[in-house]
Amino acid sequence: MFSRRARVPFLAVALLLQPLDSPATAGDRFPLSIRDDRGVTVRLDAPPRRVVSLAPSLTEIVFLLGRQEVLAGVTRYCNFPPAAAAIPKVGGVSDPDVERVIALSPDLVLCTTDGNPREKVRALEEMGIPCFAVSPQDIDAVFAAIRRVGLLLDAAGRAEAEAAALRRRADRASASGRREGPEGPRVLFAVSTSPVIAAGAGTFMDELVRLSGGRNVAAGLVGRYPRLSVEDLVALRPDVVFVAGMTGVERFPEEVTRWVEIPAFRDGSVVTLDGDIVTRPGPRLVTALEQISGAIAAWREGRAKAPARGKGGKP
Amino acid sequence: MTGGAAGKRGRLVFPALVAAFLGALALSAATGPVAIPFRKMADALLHGGDDTPARVLLSLRLPRALLGALVGGALASSGVAFQALLRNPLADPYILGVSGGAAVGALTVALFLSADASSGLPFFAFVGAALSALAVFLLARRKSGVSPERLILMGVVVGAFLNAVIMLMVTLSPPGKIPGALYWLMGDLGLGTPRRVAALFPYVALGVAVLLLLSRGLDLLLLGDQAAFQTGLSVERVKTATYLTASLLAGSVVAVSGLIGFVGLIVPHGARVMVGSGHRRLLPAAFLLGGAFLVLSDTVARAASPAGELPVGAVTALAGAPFFLYLLRRNGGRS
Repeated sequence: MFSRRARVPFLAVALLLQPLDSPATAGDRFPLSIRDDRGVTVRLDAPPRRVVSLAPSLTEIVFLLGRQEVLAGVTRYCNFPPAAAAIPKVGGVSDPDVERVIALSPDLVLCTTDGNPREKVRALEEMGIPCFAVSPQDIDAVFAAIRRVGLLLDAAGRAEAEAAALRRRADRASASGRREGPEGPRVLFAVSTSPVIAAGAGTFMDELVRLSGGRNVAAGLVGRYPRLSVEDLVALRPDVVFVAGMTGVERFPEEVTRWVEIPAFRDGSVVTLDGDIVTRPGPRLVTALEQISGAIAAWREGRAKAPARGKGGKP
Repeated sequence: MTGGAAGKRGRLVFPALVAAFLGALALSAATGPVAIPFRKMADALLHGGDDTPARVLLSLRLPRALLGALVGGALASSGVAFQALLRNPLADPYILGVSGGAAVGALTVALFLSADASSGLPFFAFVGAALSALAVFLLARRKSGVSPERLILMGVVVGAFLNAVIMLMVTLSPPGKIPGALYWLMGDLGLGTPRRVAALFPYVALGVAVLLLLSRGLDLLLLGDQAAFQTGLSVERVKTATYLTASLLAGSVVAVSGLIGFVGLIVPHGARVMVGSGHRRLLPAAFLLGGAFLVLSDTVARAASPAGELPVGAVTALAGAPFFLYLLRRNGGRS
């Protein structure tokens, strides 16, 4: 959770750093040395002017910081904001084309440890291209990544301000979802509807549900993305179902939805979210948190109106 | 070779196989995340019912168990037929292009029609399997008839071609478009609805019945074309009928259950150890053993984790390989 204690000094730091981005002080922090999430120390002598991003989340962060003019290359999955589509493509996340990246002669490559193959990143480093890798595992780490990319791109003040604003939005959303005590709805977060595959423990979706006051029914199952049979769903009885809309089919097959034993299908509490915003460790995770908290708050209101239906809840 | 197992022990083999088959069905129906008391189960089986436990039992577990039995039995029977037809112990129902054709059909549905694995997938997978099986057959046929060598060669060529198509489809597809099809490729009995079991039943019944009628011909095919010909058998007709029937069996079960490996390859050998290689006994034994084996594997796949499923194809190979090694070793490798 976001600690309240941390917020005040956090804002103070943000205010202190704000003027650093002004043209008069640009580049003051360089040469700059930062350790990335692999433990590799990346050294930049001057603010980078040609940056290649190897992940959609990193592309979104660069845009958030207003530094998109330095982006020389992105992946074919970088579709947000829409302007990212116009930037030259260097392949995918798991299959970036090393030669294409080199051809763009970047002075910095932003990459991830989860998605980008280690040996491709190493190949770029052997060509003398500094590569900065992040691997945020929760929302707090995403905010930290935003600040570190801000440092690298000479936008530290902007990064602090944006991270602080995102954190305020996240705290507010989380508070609205949890408003009425700990007994939240049982939530299924489906990343596929046919077959039903759930987001389990260790996923951003699990964290979003938890922060919103929901109880992820798949959190106790084996694996990050357990596959569920119809009978599993009947046994798990989710009250609210979220669907990460990235599979092309957001609708559950009739053989699943006809089970009135599953409260979410009986009551129509099925909410489809943009799959990109719940899986990318970028700024839009906060948008997802707002949508999920909103749906959970709506579920609580609906249950308050029809208390007879709620099972094991407060009247 | 044939008479070895038909002694005193041989007489007990079939009752034991039937018991294993029914026991596997019962165990599968009794296993699942929704707790159902035994009395409730008996009640639901005898009188039906509309409450949750009865509906879980009657419309989820039983159809799935029956689907497993049909699929396992059909794959094993089809494997027996292909091994005789090709005179090759490594033959299985997928060796002649059926799997590749079915996969291309399934991916076509996922990419161009709907990623919903439960709608058009079985039909298109069946069409794909039938087309590729037919293509292999026509390519392999000569004026003098079909030879096992040419069939295998054409099966490998068509299979390699379809593999390339599959790789291209998977690589070029937008992300997230094909998880349903990929799970199907790994083998999946989760599509077992009463309607689908009923739809599959006639194909399997017909296929197995035709193979049984062909069993004398299959015995003779094992001796080689020349020997079979000398007995007055219409070798080409037996081969054609066997090929088409075994392909139909494989194609129809692939369509509803995806590619489940191991059953069609190894169960025939296990059954041969038990009843010998005469097809009149071997085919029913393989059907029962294959059905029981797949139903048990699926039960393990469903029960292995507190909820959530493992791919059944992984369980068939993980559990089956050591078991059949033991079976073969105990019988001195006689198969």
